[in-house]
Amino acid sequence: MRLALAVASLVVLVVHGVVFRNQFFHEWERHQTAYIEQARSLAKTDRERTDLDARSPRIEQIIVSSFGDTHVDRCTTCHLAADDPRFMNHAEPLKTHPYSAALGDVQRNGQWERRHKFSDFGCTVCHDGEGRGLDTFYAHGQDEFWPDPLTGYVTQANWRKDFSPHLKGNEYMEANCAQCHTEEGFAGTPHVNRGRKLFYAMNCYGCHKIDGMSEGTLGPDLTEAGKKFKVDYLWESIVEPRANLDTSFMPNFHLPQDDVEALVIFLKSRRGVNFAETSLDRYKAHVANVAVVIPPGTAGEKAGEQLLGDRACTACHKLGDKDGGIAPDLSYEGLIRNEQWLADHFANPRSRVPDSIMPAFRFPADDFQKLTAYLETLKTPPPSNWDPQTTFTNLCARCHGEKGDGNGKVAWYIDPSPRDFTKQGFMASKPRARFVASIQEGVGGTSMPPWKQILKEDQVNGVLDYIMKNFARQIFVEQRRRNLPEANPVAASPESINRGEQIFELRCTGCHGRKADGKGPNSLDIFPHPRNFRNHWFVESVPDKRLFESIEYGVQGTAMPSWIDMLSTNEVGDVINFIRSLQTKSK
Amino acid sequence: MTPTKEPTGPLSALREFPQNIWNSIFRNPLPSTDLERSSTSFTNFFLHIHPVKVNRNTLRPAYTMGLGLMATFLFVILVVTGVLLMFYYVPSTTQAYDRMLDLRGTVAFGIFLRNMHRWSAHGMVAIVFLHMCRVFFTGAYKRPREFNWILGVLLLLVTLFLSFTGYLLPWDQLAFWAITVGTSIAGYAPIVGQQIKFVLLGDTTVGQEALLRFYVLHVAVLPAVLVLLMAIHFWRIRKDGGLSRPEKRPAPATDAGVVKLKKIYGLQGFVRGPFTKLGNVPDDSVYSWPNLLMAELFVFVLTISAILVVSLLFNAPLEQPVNVMHPPNPAKAPWYFLGLQEMVSYSAFWGGIGIPGLMVAVLLLVPYIDRGTAGVGRWFAKERLLANTIFLTLVILNVIFIVIGTFFRGPNWSLVWPF
Repeated sequence: MRLALAVASLVVLVVHGVVFRNQFFHEWERHQTAYIEQARSLAKTDRERTDLDARSPRIEQIIVSSFGDTHVDRCTTCHLAADDPRFMNHAEPLKTHPYSAALGDVQRNGQWERRHKFSDFGCTVCHDGEGRGLDTFYAHGQDEFWPDPLTGYVTQANWRKDFSPHLKGNEYMEANCAQCHTEEGFAGTPHVNRGRKLFYAMNCYGCHKIDGMSEGTLGPDLTEAGKKFKVDYLWESIVEPRANLDTSFMPNFHLPQDDVEALVIFLKSRRGVNFAETSLDRYKAHVANVAVVIPPGTAGEKAGEQLLGDRACTACHKLGDKDGGIAPDLSYEGLIRNEQWLADHFANPRSRVPDSIMPAFRFPADDFQKLTAYLETLKTPPPSNWDPQTTFTNLCARCHGEKGDGNGKVAWYIDPSPRDFTKQGFMASKPRARFVASIQEGVGGTSMPPWKQILKEDQVNGVLDYIMKNFARQIFVEQRRRNLPEANPVAASPESINRGEQIFELRCTGCHGRKADGKGPNSLDIFPHPRNFRNHWFVESVPDKRLFESIEYGVQGTAMPSWIDMLSTNEVGDVINFIRSLQTKSK
Repeated sequence: MTPTKEPTGPLSALREFPQNIWNSIFRNPLPSTDLERSSTSFTNFFLHIHPVKVNRNTLRPAYTMGLGLMATFLFVILVVTGVLLMFYYVPSTTQAYDRMLDLRGTVAFGIFLRNMHRWSAHGMVAIVFLHMCRVFFTGAYKRPREFNWILGVLLLLVTLFLSFTGYLLPWDQLAFWAITVGTSIAGYAPIVGQQIKFVLLGDTTVGQEALLRFYVLHVAVLPAVLVLLMAIHFWRIRKDGGLSRPEKRPAPATDAGVVKLKKIYGLQGFVRGPFTKLGNVPDDSVYSWPNLLMAELFVFVLTISAILVVSLLFNAPLEQPVNVMHPPNPAKAPWYFLGLQEMVSYSAFWGGIGIPGLMVAVLLLVPYIDRGTAGVGRWFAKERLLANTIFLTLVILNVIFIVIGTFFRGPNWSLVWPF
């Protein structure tokens, strides 16, 4: 026991020794001693020398309170020569901070004078890092928990190795310049300016909100992106949108590296309230209804085609060999959509496909016309000798899936979901004429376009046979005779609509929602999702007879049950009147 | 002991000055006889908490493992480092984190103090828990020590709460979200849950009010409660007849160590109590000085050297400044509550309140349910197979839940492989 006691005591002693050594022989003291020695040899007067002799190492700090939260910057404890021009050619940390005319420094009588004096600005206002730290690891923000490492100089150990080389460079400091120099086109922040332009040009604004700049609601609010996220995360989110969230539907824009860098620097400069504005300015920007004005794109003969590329349409859509994998194929747009449809859809995509996720972009009207005109020229049909399988693979599989299970590449982003052809109950209960009509005429208010101008009747039948044979594997079974009225026997009186609403609230809202928008509490678990009755393009394309059939006998292959034992024909008529009554309002 | 001699002049007063000061403070010289040994223990303020003599069993390292002493010494380290840290800490949401940065970077010994405080706190929770296990497995909670067991359970709870309240003070992401999770667990209590949570936080979410409350609890209220309970705990050890030990063994062959009636050292000879020996009672005890003192010193040096080494090697964590809008995924409670959080992930009420409540109730009731006296004073005595098995099962279950919660839970509390 005595031996153990002696050993343990020795440990205590050794640890104390180490701790005391660490506490009394700091790295920064060595730097300061070195500085004093070198400054002494450079000194010209005796006075200077005696001053230096009297100096002993001490912690230097600059307290900056003019820029946001108070910064306590102890950087000059090591970087003691930052403001001493004699140390221009020394090694860090005893090196003069460079003077630069671009930063506004001026030379008077051969002496440089700083525009951004350290006594006013400190260090971290521009450079980031942990100003309070005295140890390189923490002061430079190498600690993975520090939110803002020395910008452009330090990459943290847990950052992705493949990004780290891109995250270094002076240009990243522009994000901090832009905290005061907020004017657009400020010459000192070219990357921020370029990033701001890209934010509009690449349509980021369509989905993302930045107070005072855009109103998008589909993606996360980026007003404080620079405060919340490190450059590593921002870079990753742009280059690999799904790296952090598997279900993200942000497209991969495949931007060149310098564009990504400009966007990252721009986003890093978004910190909510910046130094140049008051919190009142920020509030005004927050409540302002921003009218985003996008500068017009190129004019000229091929303007439409060029715009399609410039405006990043193929980040989501497919055209030619470019495919964003999120939205429908535009290759035959001139054959399936007319000018009016395109114009309406550009102005507000939800006016044509009510559950579309496509944002309403704010291009100048002229640009929309050019784009529409260009899309209308896409009238080259696919080769007419395609066999049904090729046709299905090229035209249908993008939404309906290679296996016909309604799970195509873009199906996740399309609402109402593409039909699942492997649901035998559905496929066997509907007459062939209805499928033919859906293919030829399209389905109103959905992403299913009319194919009649692309596929001849025999091609349509060929594809349908292919689907029935390979996916449905069951041909139409004649149902028992169903007693269905051709038209709604109940007149659309206010009383009838009122009764219909009551029945709807009682029976239908669980799935179809209180607003009849198909988003009831159960809707999330149901595939295909319940119909949205606010989709007037769809509702109006469906005759009363079909509504009667769907309600009374249910829709096989979906979650819609049969109501024939619960509701009388007149009650169903009331419900249909109620559904129809919703449409006039939305028009 | 300097017998006064005849010449008492100013010169001799000067010569004896240091010796006189020493004698005025320490009444006894370094003891060399039994009388002096007992007198030393009896007359020194700091030593009089000890009995003059202790049973040999008490000093067996394999019996107690020194766990109770370790917990005490850790508490002493915590008080000393904690008071020093208080000179720098401000319980304000705008300043607390900056003060942590200053402690880490600028204050002399700041980072080391914080490391010591942090690791001692974690250590104390673990050691107090192990101490409880030791007491259970040796059956030491049996009559007449039932109430001291109760005090021990209360001390464990206060220790947990002390550690928990201290967890918030650095005001970083780790602290903020751990306390958010921890107080939410409290909110699952029936009827009064939300009120308890509100009283704890002084608000509906963790904020300035919570920080101030936790600070006051951490530096004033809970330490005071702990010190009081500890004092009673120690006092009861003596009044309950020292540490538990096996039933009387047959009388030793020799009469060495037998206290004769004639010799009474001080008042202790008259004290009536279960273990004060008078007459030819077989006595298996040794003098506290130096035996117990050396053992205590050993445990103390061991404890402090362990804490010092750990503090030198590992820095206390300090994560990002609090960001209320950006919870980490997963947000985890302090490790000693991760077993609870793991159970909460199955059922909020049963995991957070029901089962832990039952556990505490069982712990408090154990000495009144388990009344048999067989097997006391031996580790894992055969006679106590049932009780020990039940307790060991609960301990292992708790440890398993803590290990799962700590290492095997990833984003969205999904199971992950940690390696």
